[in-house]
Amino acid sequence: MRNMCARKKALACAGGLAMSAGILLSAARAWAEDAGAYREIETKYIFGFTEGSGIGLEGEKEFSPETVINFGKRDGRYAVSETKLEYEFTPNQYIQIELGPLVSYYDIRNVTGLDDMNAVRFSGFFGELRYLLIDRTSTSPFSVTLSVEPEWHAFEETSGARVVNYGLEAKVNADLELVKNRLYLGANLLYEPETTRADLGVWQQESTLGQSIALAYRIHPQVTIGAEAWYLRHYEGLWFNTFTGDAVYVGPTLYVQLTTKMFMTAAWNTQIAGHETGDPGPLDLTDFSRHRAKVKVAVEF
Amino acid sequence: MSRLVDVMRAARSALLAAVVLSAGGGLVHAQEAAVVHITVKNHRFQPSEPHAPANRPITIRVRNLDSAPIEFESVSLRVEKVVAPGSEGVINVRALSPGRYNFFDDFHQETQGTLVVQ
Repeated sequence: MRNMCARKKALACAGGLAMSAGILLSAARAWAEDAGAYREIETKYIFGFTEGSGIGLEGEKEFSPETVINFGKRDGRYAVSETKLEYEFTPNQYIQIELGPLVSYYDIRNVTGLDDMNAVRFSGFFGELRYLLIDRTSTSPFSVTLSVEPEWHAFEETSGARVVNYGLEAKVNADLELVKNRLYLGANLLYEPETTRADLGVWQQESTLGQSIALAYRIHPQVTIGAEAWYLRHYEGLWFNTFTGDAVYVGPTLYVQLTTKMFMTAAWNTQIAGHETGDPGPLDLTDFSRHRAKVKVAVEF
Repeated sequence: MSRLVDVMRAARSALLAAVVLSAGGGLVHAQEAAVVHITVKNHRFQPSEPHAPANRPITIRVRNLDSAPIEFESVSLRVEKVVAPGSEGVINVRALSPGRYNFFDDFHQETQGTLVVQ
């Protein structure tokens, strides 16, 4: 009786194993069939605010308006957007160049420390140079690009006040392909010194230091979703002279390849932690906003 | 104002560094290139797995024998080139590390191949 029981258990066990093996085998086959539909992807825009290392294809030209909207301060109503009307091209297999004008929209009411404003402004120009430092290959999934982005603003980004502002956003954009053509890890390091002359004619310096980490997964050959986290620190002075506050943002990301020559990307970040020097409250809503969103549509030609 | 000069100087240095690094890439291109011949017929690459030497620039010559144009494209090679029917497109690729580099026809996406660099 005991032998029969053991035999039944062994048979059940073998059946279970065979069924599991069958399921795994069919899953593996489906994965392999699936893998053929997922070709290599440009990683630059799949991580939201975090930029991937991609620099495009040699000779590729793109027009891509990109809007970043900052929402929410400590009080009142605050929504300020900046749109880059961006022309992007890749002159060779190492470098990518972007440039274009900046247009801002300010909707500010009853925010402490800021004047009320409802206006659209042509606010400046930017340029960006990206250099591919470490190339991804089929045997090395890691890739790194360095970027510098000089900017000139005629209106202050937060308040809309008339100023002369020069900034230089320097970034290290790195990404790692965790699962071939499917799962990617991205990270950025950011340093952005700025100098601003306001009404009184005095130049004031500030700088922002940041780092991010992001994960992006392709749920469909044309659709990538993910999440990212940013840690930002703000200082008075160009070289981190006086710390004024910091913020942690997290949020989801989306990338959709609309046609072979067109894509859109979107991201939403919410400040979940932070601290402002001299303010006992949570978050830093003077140097940063409560939420920020990014939307970009690109057309290659 | 001196801070402004500092920022401008930093921007100029970064630009110069990028130009120098880019020129470095150009120097690699100055080496003699290995030539890879590929034809496209009935929406298929022939050969579909061409080979090329590692650490040398590569010139890919794509002859389109079909009656429709093709766009030879590769994310990992970072190139794209439209080749008209009955003509040949020449694509210069930087020196590559050993590995497999996929390419495809962007106008007929089922047409795919892999450059094997050894």
